[in-house]
This record gives sequence, structure tokens and C-alpha cells, in this order.
Amino acid sequence: MNSSIPPVLKLTRISRSFGKVKAVNNISLEIAKGEVIGLTGENGAGKSTLLKILAGIERPDEGTMEINGKVANFRSPNDAFRAGVGVVHQEQSLFTNLTIAENIDQQNTARPGLSRFGCQDWGRINREAAAVLKKIGVDLDPRTRVGDLSFVDRQMVEIARAVCVEADGQGTPLIILDEPTAVLEQAEVEVLEREIRKLREFASVIFVSHRLDEVLRICDRVLVMRHGVLTSDRSTRGVTRDELFRAMVDEAPTIEAHPRSGRPRDLKPAIEVRNLSRAGVFRDISFAAYSGRITALVGTNGSGRGALMRAIFGAVAHDAGTIVVEGRDVSHWSIREAVQAGLAYVPAERKTEGMIGGYSGTRNIALVHRGDAMIGPFLRPRRLEKTAQGWFDRLDVNPNDIAQPLDQFSGGNQQKVVLAKWLNSPDLKVLMLDHPLRGLDVGVSQTVNAEIRQACEHGTAVILIPDTIEEALELADEIFVMRDGQLSAHHDMSLASDLAIKEIVAEMV
Amino acid sequence: MTQNTTYSPDLVTEPRQSVDFLGRLRHMAGWHTLAPPLVFFAMLLVVGIFNSNYLGPLGISIATASAAPIMLVALGQSMVLNIGSIDLSNAAISLFGAILLALALPPMGVGALIGVLLLLTVIGAINGAILAYTHVPSFALTLGTLGILQTAALVTSGSETIYVTENRELVTSLYNTKMLSIPLTFWLGVIVAVAYWVLLRLTVIGQTMTAIGKNESGALLSALPTKRAKIVAFAISGFTGGLAGLVIVSQAGSASASGLGSALLLPGIAAALVGGTSISGGLTNPLNIIFGALTVAFVPIAIQAIGFSAQAQSLVYGVFIIVVVALTTTRTRGLVIK
Repeated sequence: MNSSIPPVLKLTRISRSFGKVKAVNNISLEIAKGEVIGLTGENGAGKSTLLKILAGIERPDEGTMEINGKVANFRSPNDAFRAGVGVVHQEQSLFTNLTIAENIDQQNTARPGLSRFGCQDWGRINREAAAVLKKIGVDLDPRTRVGDLSFVDRQMVEIARAVCVEADGQGTPLIILDEPTAVLEQAEVEVLEREIRKLREFASVIFVSHRLDEVLRICDRVLVMRHGVLTSDRSTRGVTRDELFRAMVDEAPTIEAHPRSGRPRDLKPAIEVRNLSRAGVFRDISFAAYSGRITALVGTNGSGRGALMRAIFGAVAHDAGTIVVEGRDVSHWSIREAVQAGLAYVPAERKTEGMIGGYSGTRNIALVHRGDAMIGPFLRPRRLEKTAQGWFDRLDVNPNDIAQPLDQFSGGNQQKVVLAKWLNSPDLKVLMLDHPLRGLDVGVSQTVNAEIRQACEHGTAVILIPDTIEEALELADEIFVMRDGQLSAHHDMSLASDLAIKEIVAEMV
Repeated sequence: MTQNTTYSPDLVTEPRQSVDFLGRLRHMAGWHTLAPPLVFFAMLLVVGIFNSNYLGPLGISIATASAAPIMLVALGQSMVLNIGSIDLSNAAISLFGAILLALALPPMGVGALIGVLLLLTVIGAINGAILAYTHVPSFALTLGTLGILQTAALVTSGSETIYVTENRELVTSLYNTKMLSIPLTFWLGVIVAVAYWVLLRLTVIGQTMTAIGKNESGALLSALPTKRAKIVAFAISGFTGGLAGLVIVSQAGSASASGLGSALLLPGIAAALVGGTSISGGLTNPLNIIFGALTVAFVPIAIQAIGFSAQAQSLVYGVFIIVVVALTTTRTRGLVIK
């Protein structure tokens, strides 16, 4: 480190509270030029709040922030952008109906020169976008519509957009990647890792991730947060997974080996799909899920798994084929009919589809099944609260406040409530989960998996779209591999116990 | 994960940096529930300083009487705003209802009242059903219904004022009977507000309506009856519009397409907003609409009391509404305002 160059980022005793909770508590740190910093911690540890402060979305209650030696007092994301902080948010925020160049330009509207007399200078916008893409080593035509890009390519555009901060020539830019790998498949993660290595040539990077292996592989230094406090700041050289894990959670890691249920198939499936097709999405899908067993659908993004699950739930239409539940043909049923028949569906898009953000935990859990909490048409708030409190305690939702709006909780705690909403069913026959662990830390993931297993033991048939193949191998009794909208392989895990990941990956791509 | 293990103690607790006054007000717990009544009572106080006569029984009776139809229209509107839609036709439903009532009361008596309310509820439900099943945006849809109903009002009344010739006291007693100097028409609005509060807070269909306004895909994928809730919200708007029509007839003893109640649409929306309803859906409190309607009805009176010239009245009214909505709107939904 050269002492004459000011650090790219310097935080001095930054704090931010929400009510009684200190989300970020007295954090001080420095990031040097060209450093790649890993930031990790459990859900609700305060990572998101810290990032929001850096990105100009939240303002700290106390403390000072310096960027490239200058005191930064961001009032808006635009201020942060102008100071050289580029953020790639967890959820993609591109305009899919615009071109790559237009998307990159959106970030730049504050800059002069890209429009003349109020008209867009298209030649220059496209040229500059091409230059940025070249700089980060991405081979894409800036005139392509973002909607036509693959997921990982969109991620690259997000990075290109964040990198644009550097064009202003105000020292070293700071690029923040908020869980960029959470939604990527294995091969795509490698592309992203290459990309990060390229970024360090001209920028400093903060890489947020729950996956400790990735953090150790990609980063120079790793910061661990817990309960808003920085509990570890170490070079990735010489630090072990175990040490990081201990800094993240209170108790030592307990990696339990769960024996597979090993429950034999019933004669009759809980739900069966026969030759189900939807033009251009999935084709001729036939499979069955059995009570007390977990069936995993693995495949790449775009393999049609998600749409298939929604079709079974009655949320999207299918063109041909039948769905049979307990011997009854239920093709083309509505979501309400599906739920009345005992189906449940945890969507991948938690915030926009899984929950009502403005509703409290109590009201969210009461959305589907209300049990005995009714008198005639009227709800009984006390009973609903009692039920919700039971779930909050059982799933260790933090903060343990059933009245707080759900959008104020961290992602992991939101997912617990979403799960509780469905598990609250008196008779859950089929539980379908689309990426249930997306963006969750180790602790919450264990809670969620334990609940899935328990539902299974009580006789629910589980259909799971896992984030990773490891997840499928750990949980599933049966694995179906889906490729390009078709089922390409089937494994009964009780028979093929030493099934290698490589084998499944080969079937996916 | 226990809360009591922290790594570093809080060494310093510097005073929190000052936030702007409005921001602090908005962060105060319950500000959005208290704002509409506070705004109304503040205005009452100001008017009282200029002219204390307005605070006497007569003033109260005039203000509440003129607030009653606005309140009813606003209550219906707020149920529709709550699901993220808008009902531009609901004031036209009131006026059409008033004319039908004035025509049907002499021959049919109480039956006329029931029949008219039933018909208007069905008209509202049709609006809702078209919205739920064809996805025509509510703004366009109800703009269409507004035109149709205006024509219907003109045709049924023959463009003339319809006087209630018989069974008149059946409805006028509602206006003439007073409790605590406040006419029954206003109390009718209060009862309806309480009923709608209960509906929204304590029934599945009410919870569904608010859920639609907050996040429709979330509501849909939680298997809530979203279509039914939309139809019910619009049916309620029609029904409440009908009650507003009843109040108009009871106040005027007559009805016409251009007379009392022909300009209720915008005051109705204003009262809903002043009462803290979010125009982008998912947030309303029927009890506060009582105060929203009182405020909107009282503004012209206040302007007179304070002594603005007649020409300036619309101007002051406009500015006042903007300020009040700025004060009473909840901003917890972030910066996205539709």
C-alpha cells in the first residue's frame, strides 16, 4: 500500500439504526486501490444497510465516509455515482425494453455531452458503451436489446453500467457487487469470477456473497459482519472457512448429515403430470411426486423448470397434457383450486410474488390458511397473532415482531415467513419450492431445509427447484434433470447413491 | 442467534443528526393516522379565530350537511383506490341514483330506495367485473361508464328537475333530523365509514382488497380471491354512490342532472386523498375519510370566513388541497408515486 495515495474508501465509525435495532454499528474500514474485498455475514447482519449507505440510498446516523480522500455526504444514489461508487444490486435493475447502450446511458444522464440541444447523440452513446464493454472484456453489441440477453450477460451489462463511474476520471472507482452469484449457475459464476479479476486492474471491488468458497477464491480480504458489527477483517490468505463461519454465527458450525428419508414410494403419486407442454417453454413433461419424498428438478436457468412449476400450480396456462391429483384430472385449474387441494408454491421472486411487503408477519401468514381464526366472515386478530407468534418462535424470525411490516425484514427472515404462510396449512399435500434458498445465509438455509424435511416426514410431497446441485443431492429422493424444456434424465437417489455432480451437470448442458 | 452478544460496546452516543422537520413528523408513529383529524381541527381553530359563529351549532350543522354527500362518494372512491384502481363514474352513479330515487319514491316509497340501491350496486359490480375479466384500465373503463351514466341521468330526468311529490318526508327527515346539531345524513356516512373500516381490517375480502393494492401478484399467488375482491370494491363504490344520491335527494327534496350533487367527483377524490388514502393503492383508512370530507367541505366556508375575495376562492382551494395532501400522505412506500 502506498501511503501517498488515499484509500479508495475509508469509513470511520459509521452507524445506522432503525428504531431500536442498530443495523450498522460503529464500522470503520479502509479499502486500497485495486483491492477485492469480500463482505459476508448472515441475513440481517447489516450488510445490505452498509451497502445502501455506500450507494447513497441510506444516510448514516453517525460517522464519516471518505471516497478517494474526499469526504462523501451522499444525499442520493446519483451523488454516490458521481463520486465513483458503482453498484450492481442483488436484483437486476435493467430496462429490458431498451438496448445495452441505452441502459448504460441511463446511469450517465447527469453527464454533459451525451445529448446535443436536448437530443440524444446516439453515435456517441453507442461508441461509449462499446468502449466500456470492451474495457471489461465483454463481447456484446451495445445495440442489442437487454431483454434478448441471457441472465449472465445482463449481469455483465449491470457491471458495465456500474463501471461507468470511472469515465469521470475522479480517481479509482469502487464497484460493489451485491450477491452477484446468488442467481447464477456454475458455469456462469466462472465467467463472473474472470470479470472480477479484470475489474481490479482499474477499480476496487466489494464482493458480497454468502458462499465462503467463492469469497476465499476471489477476494484479497474478507470482512465478516454480525449483528451490525464488523467481527472479522482478515486477508484471505491463511484464513479458513471455519474461522469465517465462527465470525458469522454464534455457535460453531454444525454440518449435519441428514439421512435420506428412504421412505418407499406409495403406490399412488400425490401429484402426477402427464405429457405437459407449453409452446416454447416446456415440452412433453411426465413425472410424479410421492407423499413423503422430495423430488428435485435440476437444470440451467431457462430450462423451463420455473414455468413448469407455475403451470402445475395453475399460475400459467399449458397447451397440452394433464395434471392428476389423487386420481383426479385437474388440468387447467385455478390457483385457488390448487391451494384448496392442498398445494403450496414458494416462488423464486420472494419480494414481488411471495409476500405482501406492506403487510405485517401476522397478516402475511394469514393470507392463505386461517384455520379457526374466523367467526362467520370475520377474522379474529388475537388468534391470528397467536398463530403468527408460534411460527415466529419456531422459525426464529428476527426481529421477533409479528406486527412489523414484512418489507422491513431481511431476505432470510422474509423467506421464513413466506414458508410459514404455506406450512400453516392443515393438510399440506404438495409443497413446491422455486429456489427457496436464494440469497439466504447458512443459518436460515438450515432452518428452511429442516422445515422442508419435516413437512416431508408428515407426508407432504415436495417438488424442489434447488439453487445448486449440491442442494439437490443433499435433500432429494429423486432427481429429474431438465434441459431445454424437456426432461433429460431421472435418478432415484436411493438406488444411485454415489451419483456424481459431474454426471448431472453433463446431462444439464 | 441471540441479541445479547455484541462484539464491541457502544462507546459513543452522539446526538443524532437533525432531520428536516417534515421528515421527523412523517416518521412519528401514527402520524398518518392522526394527520387528517389534526388538519381538520387546525382549520376549525383558524376559522374560529376569524369568526366564532362558524363554531356554533348552526356552523356545525351547515358544515356536516355539506360534507355528507362528499364523504359517501369519497368512501366509495377510497375502496376502489385501495385496490389500485380509480372509479371516475361513482359521482355520476350518485346523481343517476338521485334522479331515479326522485322518480320512484312517489309511487313506490321504501321499495324505491331498496331497488335503486340494488341497481346501483349492480352497475358498480359490472364495472368491477369488466375490470377483473378484461383488464381494461379502470381510468378508461370508468371514464366510459361516466359518459353512459350522464346520458342515462339526462334521459331519465328529461333534463328537468324532478321533485319528490309524495313520500317526501321519507327521505327529507334524514336531513332535517339532527343529533348533536349534526344531520342524520352525516351520521349515515359515519356508520358507513365504520362498517368499511371493519370490512377492510377484519374480513378476508377486505384483506384481499388491500393486498391487491399493495402487491397484486403476491395476492394472486397466495390464492386470494382477487377477481371477486375487485368486483366487490366497485360494487361498494356503486352502493355508496347510491347512498350519496339518497343524501342529495333528502337535502334538496328534488334531483336534476345539473343541480345539487352534479360536481361531486373531484371533491370526492380530494376528500379520499386528504383522508390519507394512497392514490397508488394499498392504503386507506375509512375513519379518516370522515375528516377528509369535513376538511374538503369546510374549505370554501373557511375561505369566506377568512375573507378572501370570491375570485380568489378557487385559487386558495387548489393550493390548500395540495398542501393538505402533502401533509397527510404516507411516504412509507418510498419515492415511487404514481
